[in-house]
Amino acid sequence: MQPAVRQSAWVTSVAALLGPAALGGEAYRRGIHWIVGQSGEETNFLSRVRQFLTGNPPGEPGWPWMPGTTAWVTPTALSMLALHKAARYGGSAQILARLDMGASYLQAHACSDGGWNHGAGRVWDYDARSYPETTGVALLALTGRDSARIRKAYAWAQAQLPGCRASEAESWLRLGLLAHGQLPPNTAPPMRPPRTVQNAALALLASEAVAGRNALLE
Amino acid sequence: MAGLSRREFLTGSAAGLALAGCAPRRASGPVAGRERLVSILRQADYNQELYGALRRALAEHGLNVRGKRVLLKPNLVEFEPDSPINTHPLLVHAAVEAFRELGAEVRIGEGPGHRRNTLDMAEAAGYFSTIPQFEDIFTDLNLGQLAAVRLAHPHSRLQSIYLAQQAVSCDLLVSMPKMKTHHWVGATLSMKNLFGTVPGGVYGWPKNILHYAGIPECVADLYRALPRHFAIVDGIVGMEGNGPIQGTPKRAGVVVAGRDLAAVDASCCQIMSIDPRRIEYLKLAVGDVEALARSIHQIGEPVESVRTRFALMPEWDGIRLS
Repeated sequence: MQPAVRQSAWVTSVAALLGPAALGGEAYRRGIHWIVGQSGEETNFLSRVRQFLTGNPPGEPGWPWMPGTTAWVTPTALSMLALHKAARYGGSAQILARLDMGASYLQAHACSDGGWNHGAGRVWDYDARSYPETTGVALLALTGRDSARIRKAYAWAQAQLPGCRASEAESWLRLGLLAHGQLPPNTAPPMRPPRTVQNAALALLASEAVAGRNALLE
Repeated sequence: MAGLSRREFLTGSAAGLALAGCAPRRASGPVAGRERLVSILRQADYNQELYGALRRALAEHGLNVRGKRVLLKPNLVEFEPDSPINTHPLLVHAAVEAFRELGAEVRIGEGPGHRRNTLDMAEAAGYFSTIPQFEDIFTDLNLGQLAAVRLAHPHSRLQSIYLAQQAVSCDLLVSMPKMKTHHWVGATLSMKNLFGTVPGGVYGWPKNILHYAGIPECVADLYRALPRHFAIVDGIVGMEGNGPIQGTPKRAGVVVAGRDLAAVDASCCQIMSIDPRRIEYLKLAVGDVEALARSIHQIGEPVESVRTRFALMPEWDGIRLS
């Protein structure tokens, strides 16, 4: 039997994407409230010092994978997607403020090559490289926003699409670029076969989005 | 991490007790027999000779794995088949064949620390094309079944941890890392490779809880939490400099193998011109690294004949073997 895992920001965010109709109003409200209250440990003093010393700017608080650890790009982006949806159901000023913080976090943790990796753009004094899947999900979470930093990511993401070697990465790139109207034409159907059920589901969501219905932004 | 429920605690404790009953005795001083036997094989390249060499090496260690479940745990990090970043698939296949010849039921499992696309990475690294029916015997340890394990006398601040069930329940966990320098811990070898048994599905990518609880401390804790182990280190072409991801290739021309991961890692450090006494996780795991080094019985090539100076980042100059 699978032991229970107590709390997980990314799982909660993915579940919250189902919305109140599927989860029930009270469970949904509590889930969103929990997400709004989460932030990475980089908000504490010691973490800010460590990030300064390792060359990573502390910036605004994002979301961790699980409580008690540092914020990273993917759970921040997934939490923002959940809050985007909550905002469309009449979100509070607190939700909107957390979305702004998340956007600041993502832009501060981009890699110098233009995209995003897991969330450490520099290690010691070395620039780290971006990943396509994290770049795609970050762009998707930054939907509706514009900045030089975001525009720089378009070129990196577009360059990755033709040589993408993972279905998940390709799906997130398509979803992210599409959210900004930057998906180059003739990129469907998917070039890589998904190897897992999760990746197949994501590929379907990406294909639906290309066809005009982005369930992650509805 | 948050405390475990009573049920999880009991499940983990039972698993721990079961493991303790089967585990080889670990002593702080010299150990008799084959436990600290370390084979150093000279192997110039990834070719067919690997198969025979590995079979002979396993025979030297007298492993009795007939009918046992063996889990090979390579190091898969990135989508770069031409880079020395991943354990070479030919070495993994040679291990599959060698353990099967010994009568074991062999599986392969890995839970990468940064990239979630494990199977796609394995394909890019050549695992699908090199290892027949690879997908049938492979488990993504990031997403598979979990075991809650209580850590007895942990060095880190973790009291318990979730691990991949397959890594906990197998009869022999074979750590198959790449020989690499590492920007956080100096060198990443068979002990640090155990991070891949910690599920990303719980802790994320990267497995940040291990950083928070202390990387060397967690390496030492995992070494104790997964005691039925063996190591086969891919040092044919390793990585030097800014490892474990952005370093440069370094040909050491060796495969290093043995029952005790600490003894194997200390030997690898000596080969890399790194002082094992200055590797924090080794100190935590065994206490007296000098005593460990004295207790190691190396066979095959003498360290001096294969010693290869791996470049270190300036921050790690202090661990250079003088």
